[in-house]
Amino acid sequence: MEAVPLASASTIYHKFFQRFHPSTWDPYLIATTSLYLAAKLEEEHLRLTDIINVCYRTFNKDRPPLDMGVSYWCQRENLVQCELYIIRALKFHVSFTHPHKFLLHYLKSVYDWLDPVVKQKVPIATTAWAILRDSYHGNVCLEYSPEHIAVAVLYFALQCHGVEVPYSDTAEYEWWQVLTEDITLRRIRMIISAIIDIYDLEVAS
Amino acid sequence: MENEKEGFPITALREIRILQLLKHENVVSLLEICRTKATQFNRYKSTFYLVFEFCEHDLAGLLSNANVKFSLGEIKKVMQQLLNGLYYIHSNKILHRDMKAANILLTKNGVLKLADFGLARAFSHSKGQPNRYTNRVVTLWYRPPELLLGERNYGPSIDLWGAGCIMAEMWTRSPIMQGSTEQHQLQLISQLCGSITRDIWPGVDNLELFTKLELPAGQKRKVKERLKLYVRDQFALDLLDKLLALDPKQRIDADSALNHDFFWTDPMPLELGRMLSQHTTSMFEFLAPPRRRGIHPHGGQKPMQQPNPDQHFERVF
Repeated sequence: MEAVPLASASTIYHKFFQRFHPSTWDPYLIATTSLYLAAKLEEEHLRLTDIINVCYRTFNKDRPPLDMGVSYWCQRENLVQCELYIIRALKFHVSFTHPHKFLLHYLKSVYDWLDPVVKQKVPIATTAWAILRDSYHGNVCLEYSPEHIAVAVLYFALQCHGVEVPYSDTAEYEWWQVLTEDITLRRIRMIISAIIDIYDLEVAS
Repeated sequence: MENEKEGFPITALREIRILQLLKHENVVSLLEICRTKATQFNRYKSTFYLVFEFCEHDLAGLLSNANVKFSLGEIKKVMQQLLNGLYYIHSNKILHRDMKAANILLTKNGVLKLADFGLARAFSHSKGQPNRYTNRVVTLWYRPPELLLGERNYGPSIDLWGAGCIMAEMWTRSPIMQGSTEQHQLQLISQLCGSITRDIWPGVDNLELFTKLELPAGQKRKVKERLKLYVRDQFALDLLDKLLALDPKQRIDADSALNHDFFWTDPMPLELGRMLSQHTTSMFEFLAPPRRRGIHPHGGQKPMQQPNPDQHFERVF
């Protein structure tokens, strides 16, 4: 699946568990259904059969593939029911604006300012894209606006590579102030620390 | 169309998403979504309803009522609002794909609303790989030639063809090309707009059905001549000619159509509120006496496809 449908699937998942306590619902079922629903919403069509088989395989690596038996049809029925339930839980608000398109624009703008040598050597775009993808392991996407997340991710990526945007010390405005309104350094730092927390979570488990 | 077991129908999801995205005076607005309780009486299948703002009339109903008379200025207002709505949805990268008079609603104050996004979908300008949308969309009488010839990589121009058919209908008062089959529809189009050839439509021979179907040859384009009997305004005829262009690449787009002299010469577009205030009862197509054979009941309660064993969908305006 592509980046945006995956982002939608994660958003659906996090939104659902913002409303319901994780102990009341099987997170694996919700995850599977979120993937299926997001694929539909973002027009990246996946067949229900494939979703079920791939997810089953992922959850039960040591067991043989699922037979076309009672268990399969039960899962299928479950998924369809669960899909309807999620749609209702989200109150039919199933359109999301993701940071991806903003990040793309911001990357382009910042790239024009950078030293060509730095541009060639440092994979800023790849790093930023990866950070953004990883941010979906947590619910950063629900807490902050997509524009702000995009700026923070870019800031973080530049920091990781130790790249300075030229004229930062002499310019009247900071580069990130130009990209989007009403953003503050405090907010950028909050988002970045939220993302770092996600990485810590990964290490802890 | 939809696989029964694939869960919530994607067409319904598309419609809901599109309606939530579109907020414009000339696009019908979605107020709420309700569903009935699943009980033993409906075999535990609940029905979903999309609730829209109320519009008193639809254009097909108004046109079929001889007591409703549109002046030239009022026709301009209808077309201006229709094109405004189309311009808005196209700039939001949405295709309507079911333009017809019955899907054009009017409030009693004369505000026009595009309705029924049941077939609508988002589109993108493809780079590299061509899009493969279904060509089985749009009511036959309003279906543009490229869809009839099997084009699957189409764009906003398909809605402008429908706009042209509706515009002509403002004077003729009934749909201008009432084909009975796809082949017949192409025949009618050729008789009005001239034969479909490579000269006037470069690249038409790449369409799947161009060589497979027998198309009338040697027909002259008679859009202006034929419609002159109904339409006296020269600018109106010119705009119609541009909307009913065979080649979708040459067809006028919504923005250029709005800049056409038709809308900027006397009589200027005139508010519809006064004319409609003379008619106090709603005029939906389905309430009007049938104006032609083979009429399909649209407009009122319209059951959508019923793909899922657990629910089905209906639409109420």
